Amino acid sequence: MTISKHIKIAGAAAALGLLTISAPASAQTTYNVASLADFTGPYADVMKDLIGARRPVIDWWNAEVGKKIGVKLGIKDYDHRYDAAQVASLWPGIKAELNPIIVLGVGGPDVAALQGRLPSDKIPMVMSTAAYGFAWKPDPWIFNQRPTYSHEAAAFFDWLRQKRGGSGPLKVAIISSEASPAYVDQHKGVQRYAADNPDKVEVVEVVFTEVQPTDLTTQVNRVTRKGAEVIMIMTNTAAVVATKRALQSLGKQVPIIMSSHNGLAESGRAIGDVKQMEGDYEVYAMAAPTDAKTPGREFFEMLQSKYGLKAKWTVSAVQGLGQALIAMRAIEAAAKKVGPDKITGEAIREALLSTTISADDTFKILGNTKFSNEGPFPTQGLVASIATIKDGKYMEAAAGVPVPSINKW
Amino acid sequence: MIDFVNYFINGALVGLLYALIAMGFVVIYRASKVFNFAQGELVVFGGFIVWWMVASLGLPLSIGIPLAFVAAALFGLLVERVFFSRLAGESVFAMVMVTIGLLILIRGLILVLFGPQVRSFPIIFPLQPVIIGEILIPRSLLIGGAITVIVGFGLSWFFNRTRAGLRMTAVAEDHQVALSMGISVKRSIAFAWILGAVLSTLGAIIFLSGKSLNFLASDIGLAALPVALLAGFEAIAGVLLAGLIVGIIQGLVTAYLDPIVGGAIGTVFPFIIMLLILFIRPTGMFGWKTIERV
Repeated sequence: MTISKHIKIAGAAAALGLLTISAPASAQTTYNVASLADFTGPYADVMKDLIGARRPVIDWWNAEVGKKIGVKLGIKDYDHRYDAAQVASLWPGIKAELNPIIVLGVGGPDVAALQGRLPSDKIPMVMSTAAYGFAWKPDPWIFNQRPTYSHEAAAFFDWLRQKRGGSGPLKVAIISSEASPAYVDQHKGVQRYAADNPDKVEVVEVVFTEVQPTDLTTQVNRVTRKGAEVIMIMTNTAAVVATKRALQSLGKQVPIIMSSHNGLAESGRAIGDVKQMEGDYEVYAMAAPTDAKTPGREFFEMLQSKYGLKAKWTVSAVQGLGQALIAMRAIEAAAKKVGPDKITGEAIREALLSTTISADDTFKILGNTKFSNEGPFPTQGLVASIATIKDGKYMEAAAGVPVPSINKW
Repeated sequence: MIDFVNYFINGALVGLLYALIAMGFVVIYRASKVFNFAQGELVVFGGFIVWWMVASLGLPLSIGIPLAFVAAALFGLLVERVFFSRLAGESVFAMVMVTIGLLILIRGLILVLFGPQVRSFPIIFPLQPVIIGEILIPRSLLIGGAITVIVGFGLSWFFNRTRAGLRMTAVAEDHQVALSMGISVKRSIAFAWILGAVLSTLGAIIFLSGKSLNFLASDIGLAALPVALLAGFEAIAGVLLAGLIVGIIQGLVTAYLDPIVGGAIGTVFPFIIMLLILFIRPTGMFGWKTIERV
């Protein structure tokens, strides 16, 4: 045996000794979270705040919750380009590289690409977006913090009809597109609600456009002539801008209802000034990012001061916070049930299905959230927030608006 | 009846916008026999240059727009110098593959240079539509249509009546023959790319005036494809007629068939026309018929 071999063995023994000594000090078990994002696709513009909110929540959780229960989470972002084919091609690599216990998803392509894979891979996914009718199936592995876009829209229509007064149904026009299955799903759900509740909502027309419409003056003129009292656009900001321009050129004032991903701030920026969105609305089943000192806002500011949160207080940031908090609370519940060193994707799914995540657990960003085996989103006790632009300022028009139930479509 | 007239006029004007974008395909194809898959991206890039000059730098329209055309021309020249001048004499397939690479490159460049945010495109043409009785004509499309007709006939005259244009036509027929006649193939191709980039910027101005801008706008390149195919890739003036046909059919189908079918058949219809053309007359309505002697 040579001297160098002795030195190597001694070195290895010393290293092993050091590891053994340090082991009790780091009793945390480390798990990974896969974070899907659209950095280069159609929603890249809203991604900065959404992704920017996820990571600080995990840092906060690691420091203030995970440390106590013996769990540490790592996170890595993957660009899915809002493309189901890209998600499908990324997924095997994500599993091999990260072995995640949970996935944070952002949109329809994630659902379309992974809804068949996740049950066999036994990894749950928590979404930031509203849910989709095409994924409304029992025994979910994908969980949406919000109901479908159609549920959220229906909540708004009921609210607006009450605000309007009178007995007739609210006449709704929908600007949609066949560019994404999610867009089609949105108007199909509303059509189902209108068909089941003819006294409440009447869909006067669904107008199909490209993702960047050339001109919508003729179409908008047609739907206003049909008596549309509100125009629903939950596709993208380009469609909102084209519709707004058409309304402006026609001298008509029909409110537009948008969602979280193409809301007032984003569409206002895209048209040049948020004041042009005066009297329009956005709706979603989570807190609106107003200036009010809400628990969610205080949590956000704490993350800014202590955990390096760089995102702005926007709807996208609220989505990211809500999603990350649901995931963290589910991991907490799973750790309590199976122990911090035995957390698996399956255990997290079980925890999601058996635990009620209270509004306080999410700093009132979401209401009380109780998932069930019936579908990917909570079906009971959901409430929505409605925001608007009044006198040029972004403000909450209504909170705690009940979300009606809709039959599957 | 009045609705029919509205849809007809609106469709015709949208078709003329498609024709303008399709002219970009045609001028590049005429000089290099290359089908440019990145035509839509050239439109978006031109749009971003206009946005940068007018909205970001705050230049008045009278200065910003001409400067944007100059910048677009330089970009077209750069693309030709960096990629296509090196491919002279290579197979057409190689050049077409490069245009696919160019598509990805321009998308990346836009993200790096301008970011992913949706931008507010300046209002170049007045928003108020022209109203004649119950007929409603979007002003930007109307002015754009007039510009397209002038540009179409102007380019047709240039390619068929001027020495420089005829040189490019010779290049389009056969690079080797053109070279043997002392015509600079590289210069012709460079000019075609400059022209293609400038036309795309003009298309962006008409298409995006007062709307929003991000790279989704590149889809107009795809919408203009059936127009170029219907006309034939060599026919500049023919593109105008093809644009009118595709636009009017699309407008009427969208208005009357979409509500019945419950889907966006109007968006698909131009592509159905495109496939039919490829089956029946692969050279398009006005494309050159090539006789090959074996």
